[in-house]
Amino acid sequence: MSDHEQERYEAELRRLQPARVPEHFMARLQAARPVAEPARRTLLQPTAGTPVWRVVLRWLAPALAVAVAGLLVGRTRFNPPSSVERKPLAAAYELKADDVQVDQELVSSFEVVAKLPGGQPVRFRCQKWRDQMVVTDKNHGVEIEQNSPRVEVVPVRFETY
Amino acid sequence: MKSGSQHELSADSEWEQWLGRHAPALLLFARQQARCEADAQDLVQEAVVESWRRQSQGAPPPLGCVYATIRHRAIDLARREERRADREVAAQRDGPQCWFDCGVDERERNLLIQKAMSHLPDIYRDVLTLKVWGGLTFGEIAQALEIPANTAASRYRYGLMELRKLTKEVFA
Repeated sequence: MSDHEQERYEAELRRLQPARVPEHFMARLQAARPVAEPARRTLLQPTAGTPVWRVVLRWLAPALAVAVAGLLVGRTRFNPPSSVERKPLAAAYELKADDVQVDQELVSSFEVVAKLPGGQPVRFRCQKWRDQMVVTDKNHGVEIEQNSPRVEVVPVRFETY
Repeated sequence: MKSGSQHELSADSEWEQWLGRHAPALLLFARQQARCEADAQDLVQEAVVESWRRQSQGAPPPLGCVYATIRHRAIDLARREERRADREVAAQRDGPQCWFDCGVDERERNLLIQKAMSHLPDIYRDVLTLKVWGGLTFGEIAQALEIPANTAASRYRYGLMELRKLTKEVFA
């Protein structure tokens, strides 16, 4: 096939348009727009009726736990019992991560059926994830692991058969 | 400065415009990967939502990534043994889907082209679809199908030749 023939044939094929998307499916796609994720930032904003100290505490507790775990691991690995010479605390625990691993684990997946205000059934695919982050500082022998749960809910077509 | 609701509105409109522009070609590709219409629609939705979510600034995702995600999800779906029986039943119930817009005059012709496309080897059909109807470059096709760009280009040429043989009567 010469280049000219190829171009002509391509043009013929391009005249065909992909079939239009069914209306109900387009409506479903439009409704499924993923929401941007400023959620983590907004969590710090106290909602009406929630005292500020509770919001702060919610973040302070896991942060403290991680910090304490990091300190303990660092101490046990790098402070031999007979060690006489001790570095100043700030210098000893100046962490410099040389490996950061991020992992996502699917914990469970299930489906829920609900009804729209019009009575039309809609199916939701729900997935529970566990996001894991491991920060390692090999020089100081420190490994910090953080796990946080996440739930994803996606509306999908309800198959009526 | 845009208020929150104005920003939401423009994001909504961007999302809808993007879908209006690309959803037909994405669904065409998904129909070729899935065995029934319901699966094809689920594949498109999952791939589009996942690809948009991966974008940090809420910008539209690269098309090559969306097609690649459809392909990966289709492979995952085909591996799920328990869904196979359901798909067979659904495929029989759905009947053949029209891949292309069918006016009354062109219906027969378009169905013949669709039939010819479905007889093409997958490796040719995927490249042809992404190039002709998806409007992707060979570089983007290479990314979507995880093959070298040169391979994509040669598959495209062979695919065109094969399709031309199969549709000789239509374009005579």
